[in-house]
Amino acid sequence: MGALLGVAHGASGAGPGRGLMPLLRTDRLTKTFGALTAVNDVSIAVEEGSLHSVIGPNGAGKTTFFNLLTGQHAPTSGRIVFDGRDIAGTPPHGVAHLGIARSFQRTSIFPTLSILDNVWLAAFARQESWRGLAWRRADRYPEPTQRALVVLGEVGLGDKAGQPAREISHGEQRQLELAIALAATPRLLLLDEPAAGLSPDETQKMVTLVRRLKGRYTIILIEHKIDVVMTMSDRISVMHFGSVIAEGTPTEIQRNPEVRRAYLGGVVAP
Amino acid sequence: MTASAKAWLAILAAVVLLPVLVRHAIATEIWIFAIFGLGLNLLMGYTGLLSFGQATFFGSAAYVAGYLLKYYGVNVFLALAVGILVGAVSAAVVGYLCVQRSGLYFIMLTFALNQMFYFTAYQWTTVTGGEDGMPGVPRPSMLGLDIHGPLAYYAAVALLFLLSLWVMKRIVESPLGKILQAIRENEARAEALGYNVPRMKLAAFVVGGAFSGLAGVLYAMLFGIVPLESIGFVFSGNVVFATLIGGSGSLYGPVIGSFVFIWLSESVSSLWARWPLLLGVAFVIVVLFFRGGVVEAWVRFWAWRTAHRAPARAGD
Repeated sequence: MGALLGVAHGASGAGPGRGLMPLLRTDRLTKTFGALTAVNDVSIAVEEGSLHSVIGPNGAGKTTFFNLLTGQHAPTSGRIVFDGRDIAGTPPHGVAHLGIARSFQRTSIFPTLSILDNVWLAAFARQESWRGLAWRRADRYPEPTQRALVVLGEVGLGDKAGQPAREISHGEQRQLELAIALAATPRLLLLDEPAAGLSPDETQKMVTLVRRLKGRYTIILIEHKIDVVMTMSDRISVMHFGSVIAEGTPTEIQRNPEVRRAYLGGVVAP
Repeated sequence: MTASAKAWLAILAAVVLLPVLVRHAIATEIWIFAIFGLGLNLLMGYTGLLSFGQATFFGSAAYVAGYLLKYYGVNVFLALAVGILVGAVSAAVVGYLCVQRSGLYFIMLTFALNQMFYFTAYQWTTVTGGEDGMPGVPRPSMLGLDIHGPLAYYAAVALLFLLSLWVMKRIVESPLGKILQAIRENEARAEALGYNVPRMKLAAFVVGGAFSGLAGVLYAMLFGIVPLESIGFVFSGNVVFATLIGGSGSLYGPVIGSFVFIWLSESVSSLWARWPLLLGVAFVIVVLFFRGGVVEAWVRFWAWRTAHRAPARAGD
């Protein structure tokens, strides 16, 4: 599966290399709510195949930034260029069809539906043809069903496919959250604190999961756990009060005095 | 035997037995109301949209098809097709306006638009007969078969009901059925997955309206009249009521609800004029204890029974 996806991504010619056109680029992206500027002049570029983390204290505007990328909010100004196309203002369902999938910080699933159906719905949405939408039995679509089962196996929920989603533990619901995002076979995967609210053990499991996705998907990751971010990311953007105050490789970010002051706390650089 | 096969067997048995047990007109009305309930259930039970205006589609279809039957003597199949079409088109118009809002505003919009249709029918006396309704709707023969007799008409309606139930079963088991349930569970996530939520809701409206329209024409032909109430909000409320009692969100819920509602209203009302009191009690019990209506009560009863019998059998 991984190899297959790798080929699909390679087809657009980029790969993780630098200097080529990035898969996603934001250009002076701004969002204001009344007097509050939640996202301020944010310009970032995400290379195809890379893992780009966004860190910053609570309320820095990270989730709002994701909401702009996925069309939940329309930006006040600025551009979002995905695969060479300005997608700002596209509604969420339209963004999904472009191949951008996300997981939510606060678990967002379909509680009474089965785990398989939760994931199946994500896979079906991305089918090229919806023929028989209102007539053909849902279990007669082999492709999304196959995709859903593969993804459930990957996140470790394969043996619970038939169970209603509300009956599994919080940790498992976080895995399901990730599975729903993966089932869409995204070209760009937005992960909003996948380990939110998890125990140390569960967090370890989630980190392993995300690590396995690296390289196979282009990922933007919002995460609070600095050690995780530092070991996994290709690049890191640091947000503070809606603005990006620093961007670079993990080593560059660790050395950046402004970042240390604003976010990492610890020792203030001389 | 699967649960679905059992349900179909029970319904077939009911179709055969009902005309023996109750008056033919009541038996017929039960299946007509069940078709009406199936349409509402797609909106209320599957999509989570509480429409308090289903009589809009039921009544509009009854008036238009009734008018064509009465003044132009159209073929019965044409009348049915027109009814389904009028139901679907009126639902498309009403639905388009309603899906722009959600929650309480949505419910009030369905209700308000229902009132608009009601007062149009009330005022337009030259066509609808206003308060007196539109009498003289004939029941033409079907494929050369005479359906004038109450039992013959019952058979025709029962057949159309079974067909409707099968079609609805296909729809709720299709991807659309799953998408609608996803919208009920979590609208924002369904949208984020790539589903155009307002458009899907509109589809539910149109399908629900088509079922309501079919029921409306059959109702007009059953009583030979389109009464003004058939487009009124009480009628809209009744179908919500019946579906909730039967069990919304389950395919067979509205069928059971229709049976309980029509049977109670027709049989108990002749004995006791205050019968709606009984319905009120039933409604309170459902809302407090069995949100899934009769269907849920039934499932829980069987779960309880097997749980209590299992240890006894182990002791044998």
